Amino acid sequence: MYMYLPIALTSVNYLVVVGLGLAVGLLSGLFGVGGGFLMTPLLMMIGIPPTIAAATDANQIVAASASGCFSHWRLGNVDIKMGLLLTLGGFAGGAVGVQVIKALLAAGGADFLIKMTYVVMLGVVGIFMFFESLSALKKQKAGTTKEHHAPKAEKKGGFFASLPMQTHFEKSGVTHSALVPLVLGVFVGVLAAIMGVGGGFIMVPVMIYMLRMPMHVVVGTGLFQVLFTCIEVTILQAYSNHTVDFFLALLLLIGSVFGAQIGTALGKKLHGDQLKILLAIIVLVVTVKIVLELVLEPSILLSYAGGH
Amino acid sequence: MKRTVMTVLKQWAAVAVAAAAMIALPAAAQAALTCQVNPTKVPITLSYHGAKLTISGQSALNDELVLKISTPPKDAAMKYKGKAAGLFWMKKGTMEFKGVPQVYLVSSTAKLNLILSDAERQQYQLGYDAMGNAVKVEDSKGQPVERKWFDEFIRFKEKEMVYNIQEGTITRKHGENGNAFEVVMDWPYQAAPGVYNVEVFAVNGGKVVDKAATTFEVERTGLIAALSKMAVDQAALYGIMAVAIAMMAGFAVGVIFKKGGGSH
Repeated sequence: MYMYLPIALTSVNYLVVVGLGLAVGLLSGLFGVGGGFLMTPLLMMIGIPPTIAAATDANQIVAASASGCFSHWRLGNVDIKMGLLLTLGGFAGGAVGVQVIKALLAAGGADFLIKMTYVVMLGVVGIFMFFESLSALKKQKAGTTKEHHAPKAEKKGGFFASLPMQTHFEKSGVTHSALVPLVLGVFVGVLAAIMGVGGGFIMVPVMIYMLRMPMHVVVGTGLFQVLFTCIEVTILQAYSNHTVDFFLALLLLIGSVFGAQIGTALGKKLHGDQLKILLAIIVLVVTVKIVLELVLEPSILLSYAGGH
Repeated sequence: MKRTVMTVLKQWAAVAVAAAAMIALPAAAQAALTCQVNPTKVPITLSYHGAKLTISGQSALNDELVLKISTPPKDAAMKYKGKAAGLFWMKKGTMEFKGVPQVYLVSSTAKLNLILSDAERQQYQLGYDAMGNAVKVEDSKGQPVERKWFDEFIRFKEKEMVYNIQEGTITRKHGENGNAFEVVMDWPYQAAPGVYNVEVFAVNGGKVVDKAATTFEVERTGLIAALSKMAVDQAALYGIMAVAIAMMAGFAVGVIFKKGGGSH
C-alpha cells in the first residue's frame, strides 16, 4: 500500500495518489486545463513539500496532456498554428514572470501579490464564465441559439482587424493577427509564472472569449499548449532545483492518463456551454477555498522555507 | 633502609589497589549501563513506511532511565505566517531557529522534571524547555522573537512526527545484578536519511550517573538511492527522462484507448 518517494522523502499510500491522478486527469481531458491549481494543494495535503508538489505536478501533466492532446488531435480539435503562437508567447511571458517574482521576493511582499493575483484571476474568470455560460444555456433552452460564438466573431474588427499579419486559423475558423495570440500568450505566461501554475485555467477563457475559438477546439489546443509548457517547466525544475519526484509523478500519471481519456470521451457527450459552466463552478470553489485559507487562522503558523 | 622504604611503598600500593577494587566492586556487581539498537541500519526501500526499532540494554537496579534519539543541532530556516492588513493570513517572512535537532525523540521511565534537576536537564538537553533555553530564534533582521514561536516550532515538528517526548514509557525486567530495559518504537518515515545518535542516561538522585551511546543509520537503498543520486548528479538527464517517460505513457494510453474504444 505504501511507496517511498526518493525526492519528497516521504511515504505515501499509492492508491490515494493514483486516485488523485485519475480525478484531476479527468478534469484535464474534460476542460483542457492542466489541473495544477487543484493538484498542487491536494499533494500538499498528503504531506508533499510545496516546491516538490508543484514541480512534480508539471511532470504528471506532461503525461495527462500528451494523452488528452493525442485524442483531441485525432478528433480534429487541436489548432496547432494557434497553439504554437500561444506557447511561444507563454514561454516569453514565463521568463518575464519569473523575473518579476525574483524582484518581489527580494523586496518582500511577494506572498501577498501571489495570493491576490490568484484570488482575483480565479474569481474574475470563474464569475464571468459562470454567468456567460448560464445565459447561453438559458438561450439554448429557449431554442434561440445555434452556435453562439459565430455571430460574435463578426463583431470584432476595429483595432484587432487593423493589426498586421492577419492569419486565418482553419481549425478554429477564426481570423486574427498572429500578434494577438502571441501577446495573449505572453500575458498568460506572466500571470502563470507569478502564480506558479501552468495557466490553463486562464488560457482557456482567453481562447474562448478573446480569440473566439469554439469550445472543443479550445480544449484540444489548451492541452497542446499545456503539454509544451509543462515539458519546459519539468526539465527546468529538475535541472535547477532537483524538485521533480519521478516516482510520485509515475503514480499520478498512471491515474491521470486514464482520467484524461475518460474526460475526453465524456467531453464529447457534453455541450460546450455545459463544459464551461462546470469549469466555472470548479474555479469558483477553488477561489472560495483560497479566500477561506486567507481569512481563517491557520492551525500551524510555520512552514519550511523554500519556494512559495 | 632502602629496602624498608621499598617494602612500605609496595604495601601502600597493594592497599591502594585493594581499596580501589573494593570501591569499584559494587558498581561491577550492578551491571553497567549498556545500550544497543536493532537494526543498526534501516534501509529505505521502495515500500518503506517507517521501521520498528528496538533499543535495549542493561542498567543498574535503582536508576531511572532516559532515552534520547536525536541529530546534532543545526540551524533551520522557517517561513512564518501572520496577519497582513489586519485581515489576511500570509507568509510574512523567515525565522532562523539556531541549534535545533532535526529529530528529537525522548522517552523515559518517569517524568523528566521529577527525576532530573533543571541543571542536569539543561546540560544533557532533556525536555523541550531545556532545548528552548539553548535555542536562539531570530527574525530575518537578526532580532530575537517571542518564545511562542519556539513552542510553535515544537508543534510543527510533533505534527511531522519527528519530535516527541514520552515520559514513563520505558519498561524494565528486574534481574539479580540489574535491570534489562527495552524500548520498541515506530521509527517515523518522515525522518530523513542520515545517522542518528542514540543516548541512554542512567539517573539517580536528580543527576545523570551514567551514560551509554550508540548510533544507527537510515539509508536509501536500491532504486530509491539510484534515483535520488541521479536527480542531483545528472539533473538534466533526469529531467529529460521524466518528461520522455511521461509523454510515452500519455501517448501509449491514447493509442490503447483508440483501439479499445473505437466507438467514441
